[in-house]
Amino acid sequence: MSKMTRRKSMEYIKKEYARTRTMPASWYLNSYKYKYNVTHMKPFLDKLKEGKLVGLQCSNCNRVSFPPKLVCGNCLIKPDRWVDLRETATIATYTITYLKDEATGKIIEKPIACIRQDGCDTTIITELAPEINYEDAYVGMPLKIHWADNLEGSLSDIKYYDVIDDKSKDMALREKK
Amino acid sequence: MGRQVCVASAGFCEHASKRSDVNMPELVSEAIADCLAKVPSIGIEDIDAFVNGNMPAFEGANMPELWMTDWMGARNKPLMRVTTGGTTGGSVAIAGYYSVTAGLPGIDTVLAVAFEQQSQGDTSVGLASVAYGEISCLNSLGIPLEQLSRLLSAGAAIGVASYQATNYMRRSNITEEDLARVVVHNRHNAAKNWYAHLKMPNLTIEDVLDTPYISFPLRYGMVCPASDGVCAMLFTTEEKAKDMADIPVYVNGVASVANETAILGYDGAGAGQLDPSEQLGARRSSELAYGQAGISFPRKEIDYAEVYSPFPNQELMWVERLGLFEENTATEMYKNGTTAINGELPINCSGGVNSTNAIGASAMERPAEAALQIMGKAGNQVPRTVHTSLGHGWGGALNFVTLMVMSDEPQRKWR
Ligand SMILES: [Zn+2]
Repeated sequence: MSKMTRRKSMEYIKKEYARTRTMPASWYLNSYKYKYNVTHMKPFLDKLKEGKLVGLQCSNCNRVSFPPKLVCGNCLIKPDRWVDLRETATIATYTITYLKDEATGKIIEKPIACIRQDGCDTTIITELAPEINYEDAYVGMPLKIHWADNLEGSLSDIKYYDVIDDKSKDMALREKK
Repeated sequence: MGRQVCVASAGFCEHASKRSDVNMPELVSEAIADCLAKVPSIGIEDIDAFVNGNMPAFEGANMPELWMTDWMGARNKPLMRVTTGGTTGGSVAIAGYYSVTAGLPGIDTVLAVAFEQQSQGDTSVGLASVAYGEISCLNSLGIPLEQLSRLLSAGAAIGVASYQATNYMRRSNITEEDLARVVVHNRHNAAKNWYAHLKMPNLTIEDVLDTPYISFPLRYGMVCPASDGVCAMLFTTEEKAKDMADIPVYVNGVASVANETAILGYDGAGAGQLDPSEQLGARRSSELAYGQAGISFPRKEIDYAEVYSPFPNQELMWVERLGLFEENTATEMYKNGTTAINGELPINCSGGVNSTNAIGASAMERPAEAALQIMGKAGNQVPRTVHTSLGHGWGGALNFVTLMVMSDEPQRKWR
């Protein structure tokens, strides 16, 4: 590490190359075969077919997941207790995206909501009733399941969520603001 | 017990939306040259090992360690790549720290390089490769693909951050004006920083609020740019750092913590984080890093912080979650000038990720900038002497946090 040694410089970097040429290229992505575990999903989907909601509870930390989780992230054990859930839910979080429609060039508002089913401790992405104006939506808004006409035993059995009256105490406070 | 590690130098290349004068390896060597220029007593041959990293698949070319060796000066030397999504830079810096602190024979000086040339590639393909397995799974469980694709098409990172914004705004009762104030703070700072991308010295809160929504509640003017850029950091031992730099910067605490994912669960399950703005990972990592550095009162002991905030709501959120301010008071601190460059606790004087975002490099630019502020060599230097500073990174599915606490004094246990 003597300071007398002539140091190799990195000067060659930019001086000699003033510009680059852009060459177009594309990736042809293959199709993939993802694996996912369904053993814990089967009882859940069967109950959905009957129009019932169940969550899977971890026997160590008592957290309930809906849809069921194979492993509890807190305790690293397999949750094994099925619990019934109510049909009501609350908005955990939501956003609105503004996307350009390719055909018409118009900007379309598309809402996405994540809800928390009452009685469980996880969130899931879902759809709200089409008549809900998203400008009125807020975190904690109470909802109720709107079932699909024909139950098939999949997550699409929950068609969307309807809004119900908010009876929470800070509602009056919020109106005032 | 490991060795004390110092940052001897850090370098950047000039960031822009399209660096068409250079290709990716040339861009990388620019930052390395800037890094080495600050330590004239050593050359590229004095570096014992290299760590590099970028986002996988963002440039349409993977495994950069295979073809970038010559341009980094890494030929015939140990080289590894680390990539952890948005925190890639932070993880690369931590890997550089680990390589030195491990005390392997012959590995004293390690150069960590994180880079991204976003103008070359398609970010959405890279991001889709992260989430597509999960999306396919939810789809097979009955959630229509159209609905799921909105999640991706929201621009992925913007999409997930807007959830955080909704929750944070509800929690701390702030308005869009408060978000715009943070943006103005960042862009004004960026105007004084030589390598920053979006330099807007005359931006006003009204200008920001005039722009359309990109993803509610975030507006176009609030969102980070996509930059081409590279950051390099030189880690070395205490003895060597004293020879190389006037003020060696001691790395006193590092942490990287992953919490459960938010928004998307695993195998179609519900996501474990109820409130994406809660950020237990940030709380836990600050506990770990402050514990290592012997910091009990972060607000008093930390003089400067660089937090990873592509979106303004995150900047408010992080400074609270990292213990720099009390819960729900960050907005007040931006109003009364506490976080300004001559304030009590300056934050993101480089302009932050909000003004310059070369994704793979961003999380390393935070600790690099925090180290340069201690050395007194930063682009937008804080006038007060900085003794202790903090560099933070964020990524993953809203759940991964890296942290590096640096000081001009060695860690207590090595003292
Ligand atoms: Zn558990």
